[in-house]
Amino acid sequence: MRFGAAFILLFCGGALPASPQAVTAPVQGYVGSNVCKTCHPTVVAGYFKNPHFKQTVAAKDDQKAESGCENCHGPGKDHVEGRGLKSAIKAFSVMEPKTVLDECLRCHSQTLSRANIRRSAHTQNSVVCTNCHGIHKPVSPKGLLAQKQTDLCYSCHTSVKAQFSMPFKHRVNEGFMSCSDCHNPHGAPAPTWRMASRPRMVDQAGNEEPCLKCHTDKRGPFVFEHAAVRVDGCESCHSPHGSTNARLLRRPVILTVCLECHNGLGNFGRRSTGVLPTTSTHNLSDPRYQNCTTCHVRIHGSNADARFLR
Amino acid sequence: MTRLAAFLFAVSAFAQSSDSVGKPRGEDVGNYNVVQSFELGYRFRSVGGDLGKYRSDVNYGNGVRLLRSSLMVHSKEGDGSFFDELLLTTQGLGNDPYESATLRIQKNKLYQYSLLWRENAYFNPGLTISNGLHLLDTNRQMQDHDLVLLPQSSFRFFLGFSRNVESGPGLSTIQLFDSRGDQFPLFSDIRRQTTEYRIGNEIRVMGFRLNWTRGWENFKEDSPTSLTRPSVGENPADGTTLASLQRVEPYHGNSPYWRVALFKEGAKWYAANGRLTYTSGQRAFVQSESALGTNRFGSEANRQVLTFGDARRPVVTGNLTLSLFPTSRITVTNQTSLYQIKMEGNSFYREFNNGDASSAVLPFQYLGIRTFANSTDADVKVTDWLGLRAGYHFSTRRIRSVEALGFEGDPPLTADQAPVSEQENHLHAGAFGLRIKPIKPLTILFESEIGRADKPFLPLSEKNYHVLGGRVEYRKKAVRLSAYTRANYNTNSVSLFAYSARSRQYGADASWAALRWFSFDASYAKLHLDTQGGIVFFFNAARQSGTSVYVSNLHTGHFGARVALRSRAEVYVGLAHIQDVGDGRATATGVPNPATPALFLTAQTFPLRFQSPQARLSIRLHEKVRWNAGYQYYGYHEQFSSLQNYRAHTGYSGILWSF
Repeated sequence: MRFGAAFILLFCGGALPASPQAVTAPVQGYVGSNVCKTCHPTVVAGYFKNPHFKQTVAAKDDQKAESGCENCHGPGKDHVEGRGLKSAIKAFSVMEPKTVLDECLRCHSQTLSRANIRRSAHTQNSVVCTNCHGIHKPVSPKGLLAQKQTDLCYSCHTSVKAQFSMPFKHRVNEGFMSCSDCHNPHGAPAPTWRMASRPRMVDQAGNEEPCLKCHTDKRGPFVFEHAAVRVDGCESCHSPHGSTNARLLRRPVILTVCLECHNGLGNFGRRSTGVLPTTSTHNLSDPRYQNCTTCHVRIHGSNADARFLR
Repeated sequence: MTRLAAFLFAVSAFAQSSDSVGKPRGEDVGNYNVVQSFELGYRFRSVGGDLGKYRSDVNYGNGVRLLRSSLMVHSKEGDGSFFDELLLTTQGLGNDPYESATLRIQKNKLYQYSLLWRENAYFNPGLTISNGLHLLDTNRQMQDHDLVLLPQSSFRFFLGFSRNVESGPGLSTIQLFDSRGDQFPLFSDIRRQTTEYRIGNEIRVMGFRLNWTRGWENFKEDSPTSLTRPSVGENPADGTTLASLQRVEPYHGNSPYWRVALFKEGAKWYAANGRLTYTSGQRAFVQSESALGTNRFGSEANRQVLTFGDARRPVVTGNLTLSLFPTSRITVTNQTSLYQIKMEGNSFYREFNNGDASSAVLPFQYLGIRTFANSTDADVKVTDWLGLRAGYHFSTRRIRSVEALGFEGDPPLTADQAPVSEQENHLHAGAFGLRIKPIKPLTILFESEIGRADKPFLPLSEKNYHVLGGRVEYRKKAVRLSAYTRANYNTNSVSLFAYSARSRQYGADASWAALRWFSFDASYAKLHLDTQGGIVFFFNAARQSGTSVYVSNLHTGHFGARVALRSRAEVYVGLAHIQDVGDGRATATGVPNPATPALFLTAQTFPLRFQSPQARLSIRLHEKVRWNAGYQYYGYHEQFSSLQNYRAHTGYSGILWSF
């Protein structure tokens, strides 16, 4: 093992000798992380693996004391003098959700991914940072998640857990994808589809549906767009999490997926004259006409045919 | 909490060991701490029934795999020479259908690099959409590289690169030689590739943070298709035959973009941010196709089609969010959004049939969507145990459409020849919610929303809808109990037919991990959906109309239990059960709804059962070595047809070495 680790270090350029960390005098009620270590040895011992450790390293010498544990938990002098008095320190386990959010956003507010955290459905339902992130004992080094991401999400979203167990599903349980590939748990801007109203936690591929991040061939632009896809989004025909129907379709057969819109009724569609119904050549007593996409193969959009035939 | 986390971590594993198998011990080497583990094993499967459906749903195969591995190197003082953190994880390497690797390497204050590489072997028999005529057996590789320079400074730089490649054989169809001709199988070698380059910067000055990104996304698809031997059509009664076919259709384009965001937070009583994105997409295409054969009347036919042109797609989005905190108990947020997209293209189309040149057609289509939305939400903490929230959301969407057709040599189209269709839809929605916390472990949530749109785009779009939901959760130490319900109703009436969709969900979940050696988790959810919509179609030359009904009643259950014998051995057993009982019919021939045309009887419900029990065992052989084994059964059973049913036994055995 030592040989292996030494090889890794040699490969990466070798290790520098440890530089002694500056120890400074406590200022304004701060006692420094070394004092915290006395009673919280396991937390402090592994702190160098924590992304927050970077803040301590980056701090100037005269800020070292307040850049460690007390950067989040506040000055610890009263807590120490009170022999671990919980009310004398910022203990996140007993904080109100909004206070937790405000504390974390002191540093973490100004990033694009958290721009909508104040209006996110999670915040509105009192699901805040510490509900998902385990700062001291994370399971995942990335994002300091308290559990594996899917388990975190499933613990509240039981119906979504059920959907990802369906025969047809995106491969989330298998580890190929994660919830955050499509969703932003910190809140997302208004969707650019479906009247910009719902869903509210779906991240965007720049400025479009997240589906197009992977399914780039469906993005177009096409000379002949299938307007339903562009206006109301992929969910018009597909259930994105999982489905008992092939290709995540909303119906078990393609015929009804198409005909429920293509009935010519009302003032729907791009011309406001109803969505084009099928013609008399489509005799549904003939099985060949019962699977629309057998002929209309480019159903997401085509450059060669207005009817998506090629 | 830790035990609960470890347990849940174990529960979610899927035919592979991800369960906690003891704490890997890191070793200190110089200024670094190193932790490594890897699990090498063999995976097997035995499938009876429809192998294609199994590959579509599960797809694990036989063979030796590096089931997972991880390497973590951290500098203990945060001042390593070239890096302070190195994390490398892999999963499924060695031909699993779901492979991935992540790498993160960073040096404090200097750089941070992250890589995510994924590969997915995808198989789809496409029975539902084309009687099995559309198959996909492709491989998708995705990689994302991101480099941040000066990550902790007030002046950061970003560089990024992503690639998404899909390749493999596909089976599709082509219809020849006229609109009532037969369809023929068409094999293609799918080759699609998207490449994205990103560069950006973030500046922090005077309490503001400005973030900009410039990106270039290139897409190309070159999937040649050819048929060199005679092919018979899919319909024996049709006389159309195809002797040969050649098609090439390169499709290339790029979507350069700008993304700019400005933030301001930290003030006591407000926070604000804005975002603006612009993407200008364009793609050029050519399609050249040549087909020889006989038409449906038995006469010789040949057809050559040449299509080329380009399409453009500029997209603009803007968001402005303002949050106000007038008191510590009140938060008001407002977001204003603008979205505008235009899709337009020109196409040249010329077709030759049996040597006769048809006129070249110049189709032109335009679709523009502009959406303006505003949402205002207020959150009030009335007392320590009661919180209220309410919101009003408004959006207006304008859709402009132009569809025109010209001919080669004609003068440019006039406004009369290219009529413009315009429509506007307004949505007003109100939301209300409650949070009640009568005692610390107990949380009760209620949410509701009601919306009204005046001109939905499609019959199944939301028009008059409402949502009601509630959740009760009890969480204390290692015990968590929760139950929820949610109903989503939408009615979209038109003069002759009504489209309505009603979905209701109920669920309950319980987990308990109070003992070091035993824990369990169980959940049940019922997902109900019933929809009905008006349909019009032709049946034996007669125009018919009726109601399309779809009813789904899904019962889903999950159970898992873990037993540990000190640190020597761990056993996990689990069960996932999915059952759609449909509308209660045992066969496809019942008539539960007389308004439904007979043709659609098998389409209005789809009862099936999909169950998957599993067991995993982990035994410590040595301080640093464990033997892991697992077994998982998959059973898929459709009620109306047995064509796609299958039973699969899968499993693995591997050695985990952690040090």
